[in-house]
Amino acid sequence: MALPGWMLYLIHTLFPANTRRPTELGADVLIIATGAILFYILIIKGRWRHVWTEWITTVDHKKIAVLYLIGALAMLFRAGVDALMLRTQLALPHQGLLSALEYDQLFTTHGTIMIFFMAMPFIFALFNAVIPLQIGSRDVAFPRLNAMSFWLFAFGALLLNMSFVVGGSPSAGWTAYPPLSENVFLPGVGQNYYLMSLLIAGIGTTMTGINFVVTILRMRAPGMTLMKLPLFAWSALMTSALIIFAFPPLTVALSMTLIDRLFQSSFFTLGHGGMPMMYVNLFWLFGHPEVYIVVLPAFGIFSEVVATFSSKRLFGYEVMVASLVSIMFLAYGTWVHHFFTMGAGPAVNAFFGLSTMLIAIPTGVKIFNWIFTMWGGRIRMTVAMLYQMAFIPTFVIGGATGIILATVPVDYQFHNTYFLVAHFHNVLIGGTLFGLLSGMYYWWPKMFGMKLDEHQGKWAFWLFFLGFWVTFFPQYLLGLEGMQRRMNTYPFGLGWHMLNVISTIGAFGMGAAFLVLVYNVVWSLRHGERDVTGDAWDGRTLEWAIPSPAPEYNFARIPVVNDRDPWWAMKESGATLANSLSASDIHAIELPKSTPVPFLLGASFFLFGFGMVFSWWYVAILGLLCVIGTLIYSGFNYEEHAMLSADAIRGTEASLGRLQA
Amino acid sequence: MAEPRTAPEESAREEGLAFLEPRVHAEGFPVAQVFGYAGSIILTFGSFFLVTRHLMPPVVLLAVILTLAVGQAALQLGVFMHIRESRGPAWQIVPLGLAFFIALGLIGMSVWIMMFKAGVS
Repeated sequence: MALPGWMLYLIHTLFPANTRRPTELGADVLIIATGAILFYILIIKGRWRHVWTEWITTVDHKKIAVLYLIGALAMLFRAGVDALMLRTQLALPHQGLLSALEYDQLFTTHGTIMIFFMAMPFIFALFNAVIPLQIGSRDVAFPRLNAMSFWLFAFGALLLNMSFVVGGSPSAGWTAYPPLSENVFLPGVGQNYYLMSLLIAGIGTTMTGINFVVTILRMRAPGMTLMKLPLFAWSALMTSALIIFAFPPLTVALSMTLIDRLFQSSFFTLGHGGMPMMYVNLFWLFGHPEVYIVVLPAFGIFSEVVATFSSKRLFGYEVMVASLVSIMFLAYGTWVHHFFTMGAGPAVNAFFGLSTMLIAIPTGVKIFNWIFTMWGGRIRMTVAMLYQMAFIPTFVIGGATGIILATVPVDYQFHNTYFLVAHFHNVLIGGTLFGLLSGMYYWWPKMFGMKLDEHQGKWAFWLFFLGFWVTFFPQYLLGLEGMQRRMNTYPFGLGWHMLNVISTIGAFGMGAAFLVLVYNVVWSLRHGERDVTGDAWDGRTLEWAIPSPAPEYNFARIPVVNDRDPWWAMKESGATLANSLSASDIHAIELPKSTPVPFLLGASFFLFGFGMVFSWWYVAILGLLCVIGTLIYSGFNYEEHAMLSADAIRGTEASLGRLQA
Repeated sequence: MAEPRTAPEESAREEGLAFLEPRVHAEGFPVAQVFGYAGSIILTFGSFFLVTRHLMPPVVLLAVILTLAVGQAALQLGVFMHIRESRGPAWQIVPLGLAFFIALGLIGMSVWIMMFKAGVS
């Protein structure tokens, strides 16, 4: 039986040969299985209504935080599996496990997903969960925009992950340098997926940046001056400032590449006067601030964690703020160190080498301040604190190898070797991921109302920490021995094999750590120690003054802040929010209403992106019309708030034991 | 989208939150916005037209479209980006100044970096 022509066209376009290999078919089976489970839970068990009203249409920052966290952990799994496949191939370089193309696709999606779809949403999860509570606010400044940001991230992530089984993965590296990423060298839809998914998720990220700048500048509780702002909120403010000005160059670079690919222009092509190096310049104009976008929140988290678990006020608050601000400025002035070998000339390279070294000064100041905070404190070795203790030496070593790489003549030797790979994993895992995990363990009681089991958490930590060093220390040596990054095979006899095998063993140790972490989360959700006080760790900042998890309206009465560690000061003076609240203090609160608009907007953008990827213009135009339609509907929807009555709030507070009799 | 807030009649009792009270906008036809929208369309297509039709020598063209771009930016900020509005301190001026500082710095340094092309080609 012959299939009609349009069906054959669809099959060949959506499922070309490179999506019919064993790994892709395995992924297909997993996706279908997951789909069946979701179908069972949502439709057969009838949870659809609950999921729709409580989660998909929510604009509550605390629920959006949970959604971000689920997304981030799922993406950590996906990109982690990518990494394990890469490492397995390098340990067995001649077994033909992965072809060169498959290897290229895997390191591309590994990097892209880890940065854009793991680190960023993980950060936003913690921002959303904590910042409004820390500054004594009832939500972020623009709750609906916040939900839109999440759904743009979610549908962008869906688009990129789909590429693996529908149409083919991108394969030009997470940096996607032209001319390799142009049509001439990479025909097909893979690169289009990369470009569209990052453009869509990038809109969401920019909106989150704007949202948190406005939230932190305008929504602070009375009395909380900028110099009383908790350091995590300061780091969120600086991160947002970096996002707002760093993402436009990325958008420009990606859009121009997209126009090159879809409409045959020649911004970055080799011929017709194109200038590929301009892409590199634009990409790293974004890319270097991005490094600080993902590490500044970790600095903020550690500043909170170290003060709480040392039971001491943070050492040198003013200097910590000053170093955050100066890192924010310096982060904009170092991007050329990613492409010293372009050969822009000695003056340019010397300038940017020096500016890179300069950034080590404020970072060093912060390291010393964390150590001085611990000095003389009563330290509690919780899992969150263990990540902090592991972070300090790991990050210092990562920073030191960064200084080596910033030395221009040396960089000409190290450029694109495993030394570089080891360096950036050292700072991204040792800095960002350790920070995010520390923050997850620290704020988990506030998000979910129970502690993550400490014993299991310590197992995950040690596996992760040791696995990390076993993975990446050999990679420094491999770099010194001249192994280049992004090669899927290498000859024996260069002294590389044993080091690669050790590195792969370490990578599987980190994989095991992830499994323990997931077990820890699932076990604790069912059997974890409930947090009934709202102050699980004897904390210092405002989020610990309210119940865990926080009620919908956060604060029944907005607190007045007189101290840098307001909750600590209240505890010291014996007054607590719990017993100071009387029934007459509580008034009705206006809260934003749930709305399907953000979800629909994300779905519309997804349709638009899908049409653009396959150059199906009618689909793309339909998607764009849906985007515009959703925005117009949203714009004329004036019923965006609902009142929560004072009696309802009194009831909630009384049931939490927070109301004076 | 407004921020969640205490009901207006009760908010006076919550110290220091006066700046969150809603501002009542005059209802009416948005004349400024419609003219701003038309103006931004004209400026965009004007520069596109000048570039595609090659009506003037490159240097003059560059100067003209840069002038149009500055006009466009001023129009967007003035009409749509609420630069003249403020409740409480004018916080928007700080990020705006930062934006100009960073944008000019990045453009200037990019020009410097990409000058290598003049040296090799």
